[in-house]
Amino acid sequence: METIPKNEEPAAAPPVERLAYSVQEAADMLGVHYFSVYRLIQRGKLKTCHALRGKILVPRTELLKLLQTDLR
Amino acid sequence: MNHYERPTPLQEQANGEALRHFAEHLNQFKANCDTLRGIEGNLSTTANDALKSALLSPGRVIQTDDGTQWQHDVDLSNITSICHRRAAAGLEFAVVECLPLKSGEMREVLNSGHNAREVLQTFMHDQRQVLNLWKEDVKAQVKEHLAEKYPRQDMGIVVESFEIKMARAISETRAHTQSHSRGVRI
Repeated sequence: METIPKNEEPAAAPPVERLAYSVQEAADMLGVHYFSVYRLIQRGKLKTCHALRGKILVPRTELLKLLQTDLR
Repeated sequence: MNHYERPTPLQEQANGEALRHFAEHLNQFKANCDTLRGIEGNLSTTANDALKSALLSPGRVIQTDDGTQWQHDVDLSNITSICHRRAAAGLEFAVVECLPLKSGEMREVLNSGHNAREVLQTFMHDQRQVLNLWKEDVKAQVKEHLAEKYPRQDMGIVVESFEIKMARAISETRAHTQSHSRGVRI
Protein backbone atom coordinates (compact mmCIF):
# COMPACT_ATOMS: atom_id res chain seq x y z
CA MET A 1 0.00 0.00 0.00
CA GLU A 2 1.29 3.32 -0.93
CA THR A 3 1.76 5.87 1.72
CA ILE A 4 0.59 9.31 1.00
CA PRO A 5 3.34 11.77 1.71
CA LYS A 6 2.42 14.27 4.38
CA ASN A 7 1.89 17.76 3.18
CA GLU A 8 4.76 19.84 4.32
CA GLU A 9 3.88 22.76 6.55
CA PRO A 10 4.05 25.91 4.48
CA ALA A 11 7.04 28.00 5.42
CA ALA A 12 6.07 30.92 7.63
CA ALA A 13 5.67 34.00 5.50
CA PRO A 14 8.06 36.82 6.35
CA PRO A 15 6.34 39.55 8.32
CA VAL A 16 4.87 42.11 5.97
CA GLU A 17 6.02 45.62 6.70
CA ARG A 18 3.12 47.98 6.92
CA LEU A 19 3.00 50.91 4.57
CA ALA A 20 1.46 53.37 7.03
CA TYR A 21 0.76 53.81 10.72
CA SER A 22 -1.74 55.64 12.90
CA VAL A 23 -0.56 58.70 14.81
CA GLN A 24 -0.37 56.70 18.01
CA GLU A 25 1.74 53.99 16.36
CA ALA A 26 3.96 56.63 14.75
CA ALA A 27 4.45 58.21 18.19
CA ASP A 28 5.55 54.84 19.60
CA MET A 29 8.00 54.35 16.75
CA LEU A 30 9.51 57.81 17.18
CA GLY A 31 9.49 57.57 20.98
CA VAL A 32 7.46 60.74 21.55
CA HIS A 33 3.97 61.67 22.74
CA TYR A 34 1.33 61.68 20.02
CA PHE A 35 0.72 65.42 20.49
CA SER A 36 4.30 65.88 19.22
CA VAL A 37 3.42 63.81 16.14
CA TYR A 38 0.42 66.05 15.40
CA ARG A 39 2.79 69.01 15.77
CA LEU A 40 5.26 67.49 13.30
CA ILE A 41 2.37 66.92 10.87
CA GLN A 42 1.10 70.47 11.28
CA ARG A 43 4.59 71.85 10.55
CA GLY A 44 4.90 69.69 7.42
CA LYS A 45 7.75 67.61 8.90
CA LEU A 46 5.68 64.45 8.42
CA LYS A 47 3.55 64.06 5.31
CA THR A 48 0.38 62.06 5.84
CA CYS A 49 -2.38 60.27 4.00
CA HIS A 50 -5.90 59.50 5.14
CA ALA A 51 -7.82 56.27 5.70
CA LEU A 52 -11.34 55.78 4.36
CA ARG A 53 -13.08 57.64 7.20
CA GLY A 54 -10.46 60.38 7.39
CA LYS A 55 -8.14 58.92 10.03
CA ILE A 56 -4.59 60.24 9.68
CA LEU A 57 -2.00 57.72 8.54
CA VAL A 58 1.74 58.34 8.52
CA PRO A 59 3.61 56.49 5.74
CA ARG A 60 6.48 54.32 6.94
CA THR A 61 8.82 56.08 4.51
CA GLU A 62 8.07 59.40 6.20
CA LEU A 63 8.95 58.01 9.62
CA LEU A 64 12.21 56.55 8.32
CA LYS A 65 13.05 59.80 6.59
CA LEU A 66 12.53 61.75 9.80
CA LEU A 67 14.61 59.34 11.85
CA GLN A 68 17.40 59.37 9.26
CA THR A 69 17.36 63.15 9.07
CA ASP A 70 17.59 63.24 12.81
CA LEU A 71 20.51 60.80 12.82
CA ARG A 72 22.68 62.89 10.55
CA MET B 1 -24.89 64.22 23.31
CA ASN B 2 -26.69 66.67 21.04
CA HIS B 3 -29.36 68.69 22.85
CA TYR B 4 -31.72 68.90 19.88
CA GLU B 5 -32.04 65.25 19.02
CA ARG B 6 -32.87 62.49 21.46
CA PRO B 7 -30.39 59.60 21.19
CA THR B 8 -31.71 56.06 20.89
CA PRO B 9 -30.77 53.52 23.61
CA LEU B 10 -28.27 51.98 21.17
CA GLN B 11 -26.67 55.36 20.53
CA GLU B 12 -26.50 55.96 24.30
CA GLN B 13 -24.79 52.62 24.71
CA ALA B 14 -22.39 53.33 21.85
CA ASN B 15 -21.59 56.74 23.32
CA GLY B 16 -20.72 55.24 26.71
CA GLU B 17 -18.59 52.55 25.10
CA ALA B 18 -16.78 55.03 22.84
CA LEU B 19 -16.14 57.37 25.79
CA ARG B 20 -14.45 54.48 27.62
CA HIS B 21 -12.51 53.41 24.53
CA PHE B 22 -11.22 56.93 23.81
CA ALA B 23 -10.88 58.03 27.44
CA GLU B 24 -7.09 58.25 27.24
CA HIS B 25 -7.26 60.39 24.07
CA LEU B 26 -9.86 62.70 25.60
CA ASN B 27 -7.90 63.06 28.86
CA GLN B 28 -4.68 63.83 26.99
CA PHE B 29 -6.50 66.28 24.77
CA LYS B 30 -7.98 68.09 27.77
CA ALA B 31 -4.61 68.11 29.55
CA ASN B 32 -2.98 69.72 26.50
CA CYS B 33 -5.78 72.29 26.28
CA ASP B 34 -5.21 73.08 29.97
CA THR B 35 -1.45 73.49 29.39
CA LEU B 36 -2.15 75.79 26.48
CA ARG B 37 -4.64 77.77 28.57
CA GLY B 38 -1.95 78.15 31.26
CA ILE B 39 0.57 79.49 28.74
CA GLU B 40 -1.99 81.82 27.21
CA GLY B 41 -3.13 83.11 30.59
CA ASN B 42 0.48 84.07 31.40
CA LEU B 43 1.41 85.27 27.94
CA SER B 44 2.25 88.86 28.91
CA THR B 45 4.20 87.79 31.98
CA THR B 46 6.12 85.17 29.99
CA ALA B 47 6.92 87.69 27.26
CA ASN B 48 8.15 90.16 29.91
CA ASP B 49 10.21 87.46 31.61
CA ALA B 50 11.78 86.51 28.27
CA LEU B 51 12.67 90.13 27.57
CA LYS B 52 14.15 90.59 31.07
CA SER B 53 16.11 87.36 30.76
CA ALA B 54 17.42 88.39 27.34
CA LEU B 55 18.59 91.74 28.68
CA LEU B 56 19.99 90.57 32.00
CA SER B 57 21.28 87.01 31.89
CA PRO B 58 23.15 85.09 29.18
CA GLY B 59 21.14 81.84 29.58
CA ARG B 60 22.28 78.41 28.41
CA VAL B 61 23.04 78.02 24.72
CA ILE B 62 20.84 75.84 22.50
CA GLN B 63 22.07 75.10 19.00
CA THR B 64 19.20 74.26 16.66
CA ASP B 65 19.49 71.81 13.74
CA ASP B 66 19.83 74.69 11.24
CA GLY B 67 23.08 75.68 12.98
CA THR B 68 21.86 78.83 14.71
CA GLN B 69 22.58 79.44 18.38
CA TRP B 70 19.95 80.64 20.83
CA GLN B 71 20.05 81.49 24.51
CA HIS B 72 17.38 79.95 26.69
CA ASP B 73 15.00 82.35 28.45
CA VAL B 74 11.79 80.66 29.69
CA ASP B 75 10.40 77.12 29.46
CA LEU B 76 6.91 76.87 27.92
CA SER B 77 6.59 73.10 28.33
CA ASN B 78 8.99 70.23 28.89
CA ILE B 79 10.04 70.35 25.21
CA THR B 80 9.46 73.98 24.17
CA SER B 81 11.05 77.17 25.41
CA ILE B 82 11.35 80.78 24.41
CA CYS B 83 14.90 81.75 23.55
CA HIS B 84 16.71 84.79 22.12
CA ARG B 85 19.78 85.72 20.13
CA ARG B 86 21.37 89.03 19.26
CA ALA B 87 20.97 89.75 15.56
CA ALA B 88 22.04 92.75 13.46
CA ALA B 89 18.52 94.16 13.72
CA GLY B 90 18.43 93.76 17.51
CA LEU B 91 17.12 91.06 19.81
CA GLU B 92 15.39 88.18 18.11
CA PHE B 93 13.11 85.79 20.02
CA ALA B 94 12.14 82.26 19.05
CA VAL B 95 10.12 79.36 20.33
CA VAL B 96 12.51 76.41 20.19
CA GLU B 97 11.40 72.79 20.43
CA CYS B 98 13.82 70.08 21.60
CA LEU B 99 12.08 66.85 20.63
CA PRO B 100 13.70 63.70 22.04
CA LEU B 101 13.20 61.24 19.18
CA LYS B 102 14.43 57.65 19.60
CA SER B 103 17.28 58.40 17.18
CA GLY B 104 18.38 61.59 18.90
CA GLU B 105 17.17 65.05 19.83
CA MET B 106 15.64 67.19 17.10
CA ARG B 107 16.04 70.93 17.83
CA GLU B 108 13.94 73.26 15.78
CA VAL B 109 12.90 76.90 15.70
CA LEU B 110 9.10 76.83 15.54
CA ASN B 111 8.72 80.56 14.93
CA SER B 112 10.71 83.71 15.58
CA GLY B 113 10.49 87.49 15.57
CA HIS B 114 11.66 90.66 17.28
CA ASN B 115 8.69 90.96 19.65
CA ALA B 116 8.48 88.25 22.34
CA ARG B 117 4.74 88.69 22.79
CA GLU B 118 4.04 88.32 19.06
CA VAL B 119 6.28 85.26 18.91
CA LEU B 120 4.26 83.68 21.72
CA GLN B 121 0.96 84.62 20.08
CA THR B 122 2.02 82.98 16.82
CA PHE B 123 3.07 79.90 18.75
CA MET B 124 -0.36 79.75 20.46
CA HIS B 125 -2.13 80.15 17.13
CA ASP B 126 -0.13 77.22 15.73
CA GLN B 127 -0.87 75.09 18.80
CA ARG B 128 -4.60 75.67 18.33
CA GLN B 129 -4.25 74.44 14.76
CA VAL B 130 -2.53 71.32 16.09
CA LEU B 131 -5.43 70.78 18.51
CA ASN B 132 -7.87 71.10 15.61
CA LEU B 133 -5.88 68.52 13.64
CA TRP B 134 -5.97 66.20 16.67
CA LYS B 135 -9.73 66.75 17.06
CA GLU B 136 -10.39 65.86 13.41
CA ASP B 137 -8.27 62.72 13.73
CA VAL B 138 -10.06 61.57 16.89
CA LYS B 139 -13.40 62.23 15.19
CA ALA B 140 -12.32 60.00 12.29
CA GLN B 141 -11.12 57.31 14.70
CA VAL B 142 -14.43 57.41 16.59
CA LYS B 143 -16.28 57.09 13.27
CA GLU B 144 -14.16 54.10 12.29
CA HIS B 145 -14.55 52.45 15.70
CA LEU B 146 -18.33 52.85 15.72
CA ALA B 147 -18.69 51.65 12.12
CA GLU B 148 -16.87 48.44 13.08
CA LYS B 149 -18.78 47.89 16.33
CA TYR B 150 -22.21 48.99 15.15
CA PRO B 151 -22.32 48.31 11.40
CA ARG B 152 -25.17 49.88 9.44
CA GLN B 153 -26.28 51.96 12.45
CA ASP B 154 -26.46 55.73 12.34
CA MET B 155 -23.95 56.91 14.95
CA GLY B 156 -23.63 60.46 13.66
CA ILE B 157 -24.98 61.87 16.92
CA VAL B 158 -22.25 60.08 18.93
CA VAL B 159 -19.47 61.33 16.63
CA GLU B 160 -20.93 64.82 16.88
CA SER B 161 -20.91 64.72 20.68
CA PHE B 162 -17.16 63.94 20.63
CA GLU B 163 -16.53 66.76 18.21
CA ILE B 164 -18.50 69.22 20.36
CA LYS B 165 -16.60 68.23 23.53
CA MET B 166 -13.22 68.73 21.88
CA ALA B 167 -14.18 71.93 20.04
CA ARG B 168 -15.44 73.36 23.33
CA ALA B 169 -12.12 72.56 25.03
CA ILE B 170 -10.25 74.41 22.26
CA SER B 171 -12.54 77.43 22.32
CA GLU B 172 -12.31 77.66 26.13
CA THR B 173 -8.55 78.19 25.83
CA ARG B 174 -9.15 81.09 23.47
CA ALA B 175 -11.87 82.69 25.62
CA HIS B 176 -9.54 82.46 28.61
CA THR B 177 -6.81 84.35 26.75
CA GLN B 178 -9.13 87.09 25.64
CA SER B 179 -10.52 87.69 29.13
CA HIS B 180 -7.08 87.66 30.76
CA SER B 181 -4.90 89.55 28.32
CA ARG B 182 -7.27 92.33 27.30
CA GLY B 183 -5.58 95.71 27.64
CA VAL B 184 -2.25 94.27 28.73
CA ARG B 185 0.70 95.48 26.69
CA ILE B 186 4.43 95.21 27.08
